[in-house]
Amino acid sequence: MTPIRLAADRVAIAAITVVLALVPLTLGGSDHYLRIATLMLIYMAYAVAFNIIFGHTRQLFLCLGALAGSSAYLSVVLVIRLSLSPWATIPLGIVLAALLGGAFSYVSVRRGLGVIFVGIVTLVFSMIFHNLILGLRDWTNGETGIETKGLGPAVLGGGPTSYYAILAFLVLSLVVYHLLMRSRAGTAFQAIADDEFAAELAGIDVTTYKVLAATVGSALLGAVGAIHAYYGGFISPTVYALGSVDIVVLVTLLLGGMGTLLGPVLGGIVFTVLDEAVRPLGRLNVMVYGILIVVLVVTFRHGLVAMLRKRLKIPLP
Amino acid sequence: MIAILLDGIVQGLQLSLMAVGITLIFGLGGVLNLAHGQLAVLGGISTALFLGEGAHPVWACVLGVLTSGVFGLIMDRTLLVPAYRCAGEERLLLGLLITLGLSFVVNGFLDVRYPSVALTLRLPTPSFSVGDITIRTASAAVALIAVVTFALLFAFLKGTLLGKVVRSIMQNEVGAALCGINPARIRTLIVALSAMMAGLAGVVQGLFSSLGTELGNEFTSFALIVAVIGGVRSINGTLAAGVLLGIVNAFASYYIGAYLTLLILLATAAGTILVRPQGLFAFRT
Repeated sequence: MTPIRLAADRVAIAAITVVLALVPLTLGGSDHYLRIATLMLIYMAYAVAFNIIFGHTRQLFLCLGALAGSSAYLSVVLVIRLSLSPWATIPLGIVLAALLGGAFSYVSVRRGLGVIFVGIVTLVFSMIFHNLILGLRDWTNGETGIETKGLGPAVLGGGPTSYYAILAFLVLSLVVYHLLMRSRAGTAFQAIADDEFAAELAGIDVTTYKVLAATVGSALLGAVGAIHAYYGGFISPTVYALGSVDIVVLVTLLLGGMGTLLGPVLGGIVFTVLDEAVRPLGRLNVMVYGILIVVLVVTFRHGLVAMLRKRLKIPLP
Repeated sequence: MIAILLDGIVQGLQLSLMAVGITLIFGLGGVLNLAHGQLAVLGGISTALFLGEGAHPVWACVLGVLTSGVFGLIMDRTLLVPAYRCAGEERLLLGLLITLGLSFVVNGFLDVRYPSVALTLRLPTPSFSVGDITIRTASAAVALIAVVTFALLFAFLKGTLLGKVVRSIMQNEVGAALCGINPARIRTLIVALSAMMAGLAGVVQGLFSSLGTELGNEFTSFALIVAVIGGVRSINGTLAAGVLLGIVNAFASYYIGAYLTLLILLATAAGTILVRPQGLFAFRT
């Protein structure tokens, strides 16, 4: 990484922190908007994780919700059944998500599966996850879901404290992303994203780096999933359904720009604003998401960051 | 026992009818159509709407299937063009995302516009018996429709020059183009044909029980599982996998419950991709 890009990354992370930290002050103390803003942070963190997996190593994981959900359910169920502290069970959830994600990646790289088959395998996994949660009724309460109010760490109880705690987590994940990208792995990811075959020929251990990206990304997904569960106050299969997590994150990342530091954050902001704008339409929002995906994929594949780079002629990270 | 077997075969044929479209579009266009179940639902719902307008049931079904076909044609000629411009992985990815978006659009539209429309077709005689087995007329009709459709499809692919052209593109698009074949036109034809078969599968669902707007995703996932297990490039394989899955589904639902069955089917699909990505029954098309 060149010094200028390194500096740009640092400035960008600092700017994100400052701007997002000022958001609650502009909401005028409205609890409703504070909650939306906090959920926006959670989805940004999901998008950062997906960016590592898909944006940098082209592994189309369509099981983001399932990975986040398996971590969340493991943590919550253990807290309820064995009355453990959430601080002890969240790491277990993270490890579970990381292992699952790493395993998918390892198997698909080993079997030489193309992007589409990775998509199908992970899609099938998210269907299995969904059905397992519905079927293991005794543990998970099936469709009804589990209340998580008061179970989680006190900082995630709601209000501005939770906002700042989750913001701290988002900034932490951006720092992890930045460190990963400036390391040897980052260079390898770049090469893999450009041309996997050429990367392999240049002596890059493609398997290791793809599995690394998937594992780190999935661990992050697991962590965000648990935060989502305790902050949301309620978990059910719907919370982690394909339509509620994967699609939103995909749109967010496409909007913002894949493989960029600012992409998930910018995409998250724009998506949240758009989502609020179409809320009055009620159930039409599914259709709006669909149109957004199609339009974005067809005309705006490189996202906001690439557009701004071109317009402003500055090397945005 | 035999009743369950027959039921399974008929269900399987219906699944194959949908899955074969996914196989064809993937084999020919290199696009995995995630909106395929939605095409089926579209056919069924428009049949119901035509029926509501007072059309004769047969004409309503024909018009419904045609609606699916026209929709497929428009999809191929407009939405999928950006995908066709790319090659290889890029095309796969773009096609996947575009059809994913499209499936949301269709789902959302039908849910909002026609939330309570459902297609139920009733035949004059509910059942007849052969020997000591009672067969539902609907099942027999579905089996007949599916078998005839598949026979026509195979006759088209094996017997006609156009079918040969289709198979040549499936084997090698660049090679076919070098021989003076225009892949884009054939692709449009096949996408429209696949969409019509999906629409037929949707209409047929109305014979079994009833088809509502919410079935789209379920159709897509089942068709995808069948196509994957059969091999996403093999038409014979898809047909075999559909029938096999239908039988397994019928028996397993009867003996161990629908919930575990679904899990087993999903696990089989995942296992197939990992062990034999070309599909369990991948013979030459």
